Amino acid sequence: MNNVVRSSSHSPRQQHDQEKRPQDTLLPAVDIVEESDVLKLVADMPGVTHESLTVEIDNNVLSLEGDIALNMPEGLSALHAEVRGQRFARRFNLSHEIDGDAITATIDNGVLTLTLPKKDSHRTRRIDVQAA
Amino acid sequence: MFDDIKRFETGSPQQLDWFRQLLDGFLHDGDAMDLRAVPRGSFPMINVARSDDAVRVYVFAAGLSPSALTIDVQDNVLTLRGRRDASIASNEDGSARPVFRRERASGEFVRAVALPDGLDAERAEARHAHGVFEIVLPKREELKPRRIEVKAA
Repeated sequence: MNNVVRSSSHSPRQQHDQEKRPQDTLLPAVDIVEESDVLKLVADMPGVTHESLTVEIDNNVLSLEGDIALNMPEGLSALHAEVRGQRFARRFNLSHEIDGDAITATIDNGVLTLTLPKKDSHRTRRIDVQAA
Repeated sequence: MFDDIKRFETGSPQQLDWFRQLLDGFLHDGDAMDLRAVPRGSFPMINVARSDDAVRVYVFAAGLSPSALTIDVQDNVLTLRGRRDASIASNEDGSARPVFRRERASGEFVRAVALPDGLDAERAEARHAHGVFEIVLPKREELKPRRIEVKAA
């Protein structure tokens, strides 16, 4: 009898926890700009360090993931929380014109900058018009 | 260490009725009825936490250099002012570049946070690492928790 009561009173809480889990991941704000031969992607990931960041490309899907690494002392209790996750994650589909092997990434001051070069065949080129 | 942020999780702000909880479960929109929620895209985001001896304010301002943020405390109100320049400039010849997404906030901002009473603003310190500012406001000595020993009669 006790077991029945326990399992029924615990299961909603567990379900609730599982529903909450996706909210722990935050979506970073990004800017994407096209330049003549590269695409630039800039993402805000405050608190993410060089070590806690992973940038992966799999099958033309670019995924950015980073844990927020804060040095907080023990014994804190929250008064007000706008950031309610502990990691940033976002995925992008890359178009076929991006050269996946030549992507470079830097993170500085919580801002991730990705440079996505276009394949040679997709670069803008100017064609000189020859005098007839 | 990465569980730290979880300590900011305060749960449901009030006891919601079961139907609303059910809807929230489907819609994942619990913040909409939270008084403390801020519109998406507010910059910078702020977390405030309290420990026994201090109040700590965390300002999530990626890309802001320490000199670009002004922190003022007056009458228990913490005011943050600053400016973040847009990362997107135009081409050398002045023509605009094609932009596919522009989600990051730029320009000037002011945010103010009411602090609890009894903080010693004179001894406040601020640190900065990886785009997060940490402002430590110590409590006044007379307000720190203290244990009272019981003497034998």
